[in-house]
This record gives sequence, C-alpha cells and structure tokens, in this order.
Amino acid sequence: MAAQSVPADLLLEQIRKCSITHVLTVPDTVQKSLLAALAHQETPRLLTVCTEDEAVGINLGLYAGNQNPMLIIQNNGFYACLNAVKSLSLDARVPLLMLIGEFARDVSKASSENALRAVHLLVPTLETWGIPYFRLEGPDDAGCLCEAYERAHGDRGPAAVIVGAPTC
Amino acid sequence: MQRIEAIKALADVRKGALSVAIMQSCAAWHDAEQADEFHVDAQACMGSACAIGLGLALAQPSRKVIVLDGDGGLLMQLGSLITVVAAAPANFYHFVFDNGAHQSSGNQPVPAVGEFDWCQLALSAGYRYADGFSEVDELRSALPHLLASRGPVLVRLGIDREDGPARWPKAKMADQIQAMKAALAR
Repeated sequence: MAAQSVPADLLLEQIRKCSITHVLTVPDTVQKSLLAALAHQETPRLLTVCTEDEAVGINLGLYAGNQNPMLIIQNNGFYACLNAVKSLSLDARVPLLMLIGEFARDVSKASSENALRAVHLLVPTLETWGIPYFRLEGPDDAGCLCEAYERAHGDRGPAAVIVGAPTC
Repeated sequence: MQRIEAIKALADVRKGALSVAIMQSCAAWHDAEQADEFHVDAQACMGSACAIGLGLALAQPSRKVIVLDGDGGLLMQLGSLITVVAAAPANFYHFVFDNGAHQSSGNQPVPAVGEFDWCQLALSAGYRYADGFSEVDELRSALPHLLASRGPVLVRLGIDREDGPARWPKAKMADQIQAMKAALAR
C-alpha cells in the first residue's frame, strides 16, 4: 500500500493540540519540512541533540520537571536508542512520544514489503518491545499523533507514530 | 580524595538544587541523605545522567541542577557535552567523578585513561567554566563560587579507586520521577 506525504502544517497543528513544550530531534530526512516549520516557531522549543540516546534522556528530565516533550527521529535512530527507551521510558514509566520517519522506504509498497531491514524490521521491533504504534500513511491519518500522545501518557510509556512518506 | 568526601562536600552546599546521580554515586548520595523528592537516580542507562540533568535544567530554569556523573558513563554519551552547550542552561552544574575506571564492573581502566582532560573537553565544547579538584579542602573552598557561577559548569573530581562490590540504590526511578513531579508542582 502506498504512503502519501502529509503537510507539515497538519502535524504542527496536532503537536500544538497536545500542548507539546519541547521537540527533541536528531534530524530526520523524512520529516525535513516539519523540522523546518518547527524551527520557525518559538513554541514548542526545537532542540537538536547529538544522539537519540540523549533525546530519550532529556525527554525524561523534561517530563520529571513537568514539561511536555516529544521526539522526532528516524527509524535508524530508533534502533540506536533502544537501550535508552528500555530504561528511561519503559522501566522508568515515562511517556515518550516518538515520530519515527521511515527513511529509505519505497513508499509505493507497504513497509513489510520493503527489502531494507531498516524499513521492514521497525514494526516487528516495536511489537517485540510492546511499544504501541500508529501509522501516518497520509493526511487523513494526522489525528493519530494526538492518539499516540494520549496512549503514551495513559500508559506512561513509549508510543510511536510511523511517518511513512516524506512530509511536505 | 574519596568519593564519599566529595559527596559530603556537595551535600553541604546543595541547598535545594535538583540532582541526578548515576552508577556508584547513587548509593553514596543516598547515604548522605540527599535522595529526597528533588533527586533522581539514572538507572540502567549508562551515560544518561547528563541528558537527564539537562532536561531538568531546561524544565526548571529557576532551580540549580547538579549532575553527579561518572567518567566511564560520560564517555558513552560524550556528545551530550555539546548538546548541553547548544541548550545553554545557566543553571547546570556537571560534576564528573573521575577515577579512570569502570568501577562497577571491576575497575577496568577507561579508554585512554590519563591521556585526556575533562576540563579541556568541556571548555572546548563550550562550557562556560570548568575546573578540577583532587583534594576535598580545595573543593569545599571552591564550591560556593562554582555554584554561584553562570552555567554550564563542569567540575572534574579526582577520586580514589574503590574495591568491593558495586552498590545500587533500592529506590525505583519511576517512583522518584513521580515524587519529583509532585514536589515541583507544589
């Protein structure tokens, strides 16, 4: 099934609906336009960090300090920070909303039909860790961001929105 | 100096600052009765104390944040020094307990031990100030000025290697986080 680009403005509107205070990112090619839109806003504060591990740690600190953060990362970056997600969200029971871009996906095919491990292993990895996920496959799915936010805060744990095609 | 000496010196000047400890500094901070509702132990994620402390500093800019970090762990997330500078938290005080070893796993030396300088690393990254102490009397004299300085500040604490089994706090991080949230919301 093909994925369609979602306008950054639609996602920004959802981010504001969730009252997000901070967006932590290791820049993701797939979400380039969303990052550009965020860079022009004062709130939420966009903070570019060196690694996804740091993003997960800063998320915890912000949450403990009564702020409302989220992450924008890439599929490869999610794999890179799994230990941090385990300890600093799953075990620590800290909400962790992640927009995860499907870098290198052939958007004309379903993720599961993509040959690249980075693409077709994302959902199995999320499922192995018991991390709920929502698919952003087109503009009609934009509301899933707030659903994922509610799930992360309800569970006090991680929740992922998988961004299937480059934002526009 | 011994770890416990440095810990006691910090405890004496903490004055309500938020704190994050990691690895073998956790149990010592608990022993010094500092693991209150304004403290979190960074558990099961080596290297994360700096990032967690940064999040707290950004969340609560009117409160000082003290990070009790370890040299081995900080090497695992060394880029966090840069991220701290990028965020520019004026209330961030980063103490690196430096014994040149991974104490918890048996005192294996960290890579390139003795070849690099924590203060120079921090200053090159852009920390506003950095200093190092291996004697507790000198540390005690300097602490009031250090904590009154605009951050981010890094302080390297030269501590003796310790043998014996690793000690871990019994407190659950999830409980500590909720307690901190409630305390900060009051």
